[in-house]
Amino acid sequence: MRLSHAIAVTIAVLGLLAGSTSSADPRRDAILAELLAQAKKEEPGFARFAADRGAAFYRATHQGGKAGTASCTSCHGPSPLDKGKTRAGKDIEPMAVSRNPARYTDKADVEKWFTRNCQDVLGRACTAREKGDFITSMMGQ
Amino acid sequence: MKAAAGDRWVKVWDRPTRLFHWLLVLLVVGGIVTGFVAPEWWMGVHVWAGYGLVALMGFRLVWGIFGFEYSRVVSFVYPPRDTLEHLKGLLLLRPPHHVGHNPTGALMVFALTGVLLGLVVTGLLVLGGEEKQGPLAAVVGYSVGALAKRAHFWLTMLLLAMVAGHIAGVVAESLLTHDNLVRGIVTGWKKLPPGTPVPSPRSARPVLAAALLAVLAVAAGVTLHGLSRLPPPPSLRVLARNVTYQKECGACHYAFNPSLLPASSWAALMSTLREHFGEDASLDGATTRDLASWLVSNAAETFDTESANRLRVVAADDPYRISSAPYWLRKHASVPPEVFARKGVRTRVNCHACHRDAESGRYDDQAIAIPKE
Repeated sequence: MRLSHAIAVTIAVLGLLAGSTSSADPRRDAILAELLAQAKKEEPGFARFAADRGAAFYRATHQGGKAGTASCTSCHGPSPLDKGKTRAGKDIEPMAVSRNPARYTDKADVEKWFTRNCQDVLGRACTAREKGDFITSMMGQ
Repeated sequence: MKAAAGDRWVKVWDRPTRLFHWLLVLLVVGGIVTGFVAPEWWMGVHVWAGYGLVALMGFRLVWGIFGFEYSRVVSFVYPPRDTLEHLKGLLLLRPPHHVGHNPTGALMVFALTGVLLGLVVTGLLVLGGEEKQGPLAAVVGYSVGALAKRAHFWLTMLLLAMVAGHIAGVVAESLLTHDNLVRGIVTGWKKLPPGTPVPSPRSARPVLAAALLAVLAVAAGVTLHGLSRLPPPPSLRVLARNVTYQKECGACHYAFNPSLLPASSWAALMSTLREHFGEDASLDGATTRDLASWLVSNAAETFDTESANRLRVVAADDPYRISSAPYWLRKHASVPPEVFARKGVRTRVNCHACHRDAESGRYDDQAIAIPKE
């Protein structure tokens, strides 16, 4: 019971952090809670996700990935509020939750895209902290 | 009309026959221009020129039975002796006079009729077999259509040579007989030297002609209606929208109809999704299997459309990329790179930007509409 209690508290805290600008969704909250538990396992002493770290991660040019896709912005564009474009010319809906409330509510979908895009941009899988920061950042925009 | 002493003016070509001749000229020129010069999406006009030719020849056949004397086929069927006589006369530069078609001209009429008939038949076979359009779409296979296309081309070459021969013949005959044959087919009157025998002409039977034409038109209509009701064979099936395919593959690129790649390409491509055109496109095992089996079972080999037949042949060094296939490159060679960069197109793989029927996999010539910007 203690774990679920901790999750509930986390959800409440995150809700306070993010709920002011984004529409809350229990499925998204569950995804974040799971990532938080994983991040704590990966990094003992890890406390909580940070939107500013996520925003920096989104803008950064990363090493180790493919030359054509060194940053999230390569396809998603400079602002998560706007549409992006795939290399094959398809629109990508905005990443910010305020513009696209369906974002980060389907766990399999979230996993699929992190798996693919972290490989392409970073040349490795993302850590739970990177994923959590990313989603937290997108919830605040 | 001014005439030399003793010359006789005879009404030879009746109005329907003159109209037929010039409409035929119009349709043949139209067919040649749309067949050789006009862009692909003019194919509809070419096909209508063909249907017009069928109607026109149907009419001429009937008028060849019930028309005015010189329009009747029996009036210009000559025994070989007369034909030889006329040819000999031509060589000696003094061909004997004939009121209607002369024997050599009659030969040309029959030859032209045969070639035009051949063009119509092969055209319908190409339309049905290759383009999967028209009355024979459900009946004729692609390979027959491809063969017919070669015949259609060579018959056109033959027709061009015969048109040249026809014009040369008209000029030669006009000079040698001092009778302007072109004026004849415009006004209907021919000038004959004194002493030329003019038989009493049989008059036209327009009511009978109209009745026979009506019968032929009804027969053609019934045949076309019957053919159009034939169900399309499985090789022309229309695939239902695959929701998973649209969602997973369509997220990044236009979701190509599976008939655009052979089964071997789809199978290999689906087993290498981690390296998919320079990106990681991996999917979970079950989804990958489902999509791969759907793609393979609807691959190019299972369709008989033109694109499926042509794109079965892939580039050896780039077998997954539709836009690297020899046929794709050939068909798009005349499209300037600037067109692919337009806002409405963006990339070479946005097929539906220009091909309005891309989702069906048909890629009809008439369905091409290139965005202006």
